[in-house]
Amino acid sequence: MSRNLGFLFLILSLAICQAAIFEPVSDKHRSAALHLFRPVDGSFGSLEESYESLRTFEILGVKKFDVSQSTCPLVVKTLEASPTCSKDLFDALRVNRILRCEVEADIFEKIASKLQTGIREASSLLDFYYGVGSLGLIKEQSPETNVQLSDASTTFHSIKSLSQSDGRWLFSFGSVESSTYAAGTVHPGLALETLAGVISLASSELDQSMIGAVKSDIVKLFDSTERYDDGSLYFDDKLLDTHGHQGPISTTSAVVRGVTSFSAVISGKLNVSYQQLLSCSLACLLAFVVLCEMTIKFLLPGELLPGDKILGLARFFLGIGVPGNAKDLFTQIDSVACLEDNKISIPLILSLPATVLSLTKKDQLKVKVNTVLGSSAPPLTVKLVQAFSSDKKEIPVLENQKLNVDPESSDHSLDILSSNIDIGKYIFSFRVVLHESENKKIYATGGQTQVPIFITGFINVDSSEISILDSDLGSIETKQKLDLSGKTSLSLSANHLQKLSLHFELTTPHGNSFHPHQVLLKLSHESKVEHVFLVGNSGRHFEILLDFLGLVEKFYYLSGKYDMQLTVGDVAMENSFLIALGHVELDLPQAPEKAPRPPPQPVDPSSIYGPKQEIIHIFRATEKRPPQELSLAFLGLTVLPFFAFLIGLVRLGVNLKNFPSSALPATFALLFHCGIAAVLSLYLLFWLKLDLFTTLKALGFLGIFLLFVGHRTLSHLASMSTKLKSA
Amino acid sequence: MAMKLSIFVALIALLLPLLSTAFSPETPTDRRILVLLDDQSIKSSHSIFFKSLQSRGYDLDFRLADDPKITLQRYGQYLYDGLILFSPHAKRFGGSLDLAGVLEFVDSGRDLVIAANGAASDLVRDIATECGVDFDVDSAAMVIDHTSYAVSKTDGDHTLIASDEFIQSDVILGSEKIKAPVIFRGIAHSLNPVNSLVLKVLSASPSAYSANPEVKLSSPPSMTGSSISLVSVVQARNNARILISGSLDLFSDRLFGSGVQKAGSETIFEKSGNEQFVTELSKWVFHERGHLKAVSIQHHKVGEVVEPAMYRIKDDLEFSVEIYEWSGKSWEPYVSDDVQVQFYMMSPYVLKTLSTNQKGLYSTSFKVPDVYGVFQFKVEYHRLGYTGLSLSKQIPVRPFRHNEYERFITTAFPYYGGSFSMMAGFFVFTIVYLYNK
Repeated sequence: MSRNLGFLFLILSLAICQAAIFEPVSDKHRSAALHLFRPVDGSFGSLEESYESLRTFEILGVKKFDVSQSTCPLVVKTLEASPTCSKDLFDALRVNRILRCEVEADIFEKIASKLQTGIREASSLLDFYYGVGSLGLIKEQSPETNVQLSDASTTFHSIKSLSQSDGRWLFSFGSVESSTYAAGTVHPGLALETLAGVISLASSELDQSMIGAVKSDIVKLFDSTERYDDGSLYFDDKLLDTHGHQGPISTTSAVVRGVTSFSAVISGKLNVSYQQLLSCSLACLLAFVVLCEMTIKFLLPGELLPGDKILGLARFFLGIGVPGNAKDLFTQIDSVACLEDNKISIPLILSLPATVLSLTKKDQLKVKVNTVLGSSAPPLTVKLVQAFSSDKKEIPVLENQKLNVDPESSDHSLDILSSNIDIGKYIFSFRVVLHESENKKIYATGGQTQVPIFITGFINVDSSEISILDSDLGSIETKQKLDLSGKTSLSLSANHLQKLSLHFELTTPHGNSFHPHQVLLKLSHESKVEHVFLVGNSGRHFEILLDFLGLVEKFYYLSGKYDMQLTVGDVAMENSFLIALGHVELDLPQAPEKAPRPPPQPVDPSSIYGPKQEIIHIFRATEKRPPQELSLAFLGLTVLPFFAFLIGLVRLGVNLKNFPSSALPATFALLFHCGIAAVLSLYLLFWLKLDLFTTLKALGFLGIFLLFVGHRTLSHLASMSTKLKSA
Repeated sequence: MAMKLSIFVALIALLLPLLSTAFSPETPTDRRILVLLDDQSIKSSHSIFFKSLQSRGYDLDFRLADDPKITLQRYGQYLYDGLILFSPHAKRFGGSLDLAGVLEFVDSGRDLVIAANGAASDLVRDIATECGVDFDVDSAAMVIDHTSYAVSKTDGDHTLIASDEFIQSDVILGSEKIKAPVIFRGIAHSLNPVNSLVLKVLSASPSAYSANPEVKLSSPPSMTGSSISLVSVVQARNNARILISGSLDLFSDRLFGSGVQKAGSETIFEKSGNEQFVTELSKWVFHERGHLKAVSIQHHKVGEVVEPAMYRIKDDLEFSVEIYEWSGKSWEPYVSDDVQVQFYMMSPYVLKTLSTNQKGLYSTSFKVPDVYGVFQFKVEYHRLGYTGLSLSKQIPVRPFRHNEYERFITTAFPYYGGSFSMMAGFFVFTIVYLYNK
């Protein structure tokens, strides 16, 4: 027993952490609906889309778009074509229910008789669903049409025969697969809706035992609910991807529609309240649900759903918030509307417009209790059962307070200021007490609701000072007062033998000590190496003593300027601050060889990216040359000796008397000198334009020629001179 | 036989679109993305984000993270171009996918989006670590900020942070300024300092810290201040892009639609900046922005058109390259004033900024240095958020030929004058010597 109690306590404490607030459908949904369902060319598109849009607007009470002009012809056309037991027909009838287009009565007659035969021949659950659903819609739209199912009992049986022992449903006769999908957890919902339709259309009373069997199916179905931590219940379809997308929202929605419509037709037969059973002061919803489940399983099998299951489903749909797509918004709103006026129990949602209350602004604690669609609840009182601080869970700060009702807005409020509650994080648990005992059977309030409340206020910061102490003596070197509310720019210096001490006090508006979650002192070196210290406290005094001698290794022996930054912050503190205190110049010893290196710091991306410095190639400088005039002057000088040579020759009186006089040697001599002249000119040409190969080629020919004529000329001259000598 | 053939052709035609490739300049459209979810409700709670992707032409394939049929590739071909991991709690993926599989996927140049949140699984943390960011090791830690939180009447624990400390980059976040602060609720991560490819896109304010909000601090938090990154991106060298967010809620419809007021500020924004931020960021991640390609690298001598096989030292040359950016639909001219070309042999000899004609053509002209050897034209363009361009084209440079030097140097005229007057003297002397009597 004690173990059980311990377990219960564990669940309780878990539930306390997981308390959450759900808001009923509000104007946010309306504006979202207006945003998501926008008629294009006066129509919402297909019949299904039209139905979803129209139904959403109908529930939300928004009358903005009139689409009957464009949609009605489509509806009438579909009705006239009247396919049997089809989705199109079903959608058309659903749209028509809202739009009330002008449809002739005999069309309904025709469809109804077709549907009746269609249902008799139907083989799959969907055929039944559309057929029965369509008939139900016809009954509603044209009351004079005969829509009664003469063999309702048989139909009921054939549908029921699809149900499996584990609460699942087969998709069609002979279908082997009985996955939650193929019959689908969608389809239990559809099946229930169909069965509900069959009962309402039945011409004669149906067998109660069959209805009882369906009830037990529903109970089994609810065994497969899954729950979120905040107490919301949902149905999940496990085999999703094999058959396309059926998220928990649409799956749960189908179940809600099925169960509520089924309960509506056998109204009053399903409702069992377990409130009395559980009034034994169990504090939280979770325990409540756990016990309910136990009760269902072990005590009262065969009976149906407690109100808290319904509340859990309502919480699931409201917990979605405002969906971002049209399909989900429709599903949410439609399911919530089903829950709003269901016959099992109507969920009441306790919501708080604000859970962050400021003492400075003198906020009041306000609580609203509404139905899921936001309409007002029956007369009731909201009681604050207890409120305790989230740190000290054993001592409640407030107990058993009744909230005042504002008759105009029907808000329930509590004055926090007068209740002398200090700032901090609290958990309030509320209980809704209905005034009339009859209502207790109709409405589900979910027992106690736990809500985390933050009470914020202004924290006083006092007697803050910073000082540098001498290590050995403890004598104070420098001491400076700090103003932590404004700006400070300290400039301190210390060496490794000294200590730095920072001290301040924090008090709440009620004069109590206050321990913020974040009290950090950060020292950051010029090289971006940061060190964070937690500032400890005793009571309201906060103090940190940094002994640099013990920190040199942690500081990686990095001397230099350290910027000091103090951060004090808490959820309950309205004046959380981050303040740059200034800097301290630290003189630390040289790092020994094996000292740890500071960790690498992330590089600034702008230093990696960005254009590089341009590079211009520096060409080799051309050699220095003398001025042109100088060169030309020297050219003149070099030519001068030639002229001097010529003049010298003339002065010496040279003659050409030795030139051969006879014709042949004279010709050879002439040719010889012309050859020499040609070779020399070739050299000139070589300089001026020719290349080496042309020059050598020409020189080769000229050389042979010169050799020949030179030999003849010189041998002639030699023979002449020997003749002369011998003579 | 003909029928068999036609069936075969039809099969091939069916299979071909399935075999997708990474972002390629040739077929950048029709991209398939695999989305892994923890549960199907994420699909509806984050529907605006998914819808914006779908409306931009992406084909999303939603799977549960533990779906046994998940596979990224078939017959060695990847089936997807991108992977979105919205499954922070997945301890292991279904099917054949694992950490190595995800990394291989990124290594093949494909894109990845990871969103974590509190209690993220080791698998998700490991993937993030491999991408260059480290999530806070304390699994219960959240980013808390007591001075720049999003003011809310129903949310008092200051883990809902409003941050407007964005990276200064038009290419990552779009040219339009993010209009409102971004709301974030999730876990902190820090960038690996040795990884230069990872960038902080959204960082926390200096007063933020990462800790468990429910527990009193017993030791200094491991991450504090602006070093906390909330959202980071990686631009890998193979052009794969990765987005890492510490918050899955960042993408949710709820935060997209909620208003925001930053603590300490009077301005109330009707809509948070999340939608704009996430949309712009997803455009970047899936290469709708900042993906560059360079085409038709050309160079020639000034006054000529034909590309030579070799340059001579001190030649004047013109260099041009065309750069285009992918806009999501077409290749648009990329306009910038900081594209540079290098004339490179072991080290750059010339580094010059190219001038643009505003239509994607970049050109410049310069003189070939007086050093011969095998050079390269190199365009190394690495800018924040853009895919890197690394182009090179080899070209040899030769010295002057013997006949290309200067032929008549005035300074040498005295020597020439000397030689030629000597020759003339020789000519006269031969005549005089031979025939004088």
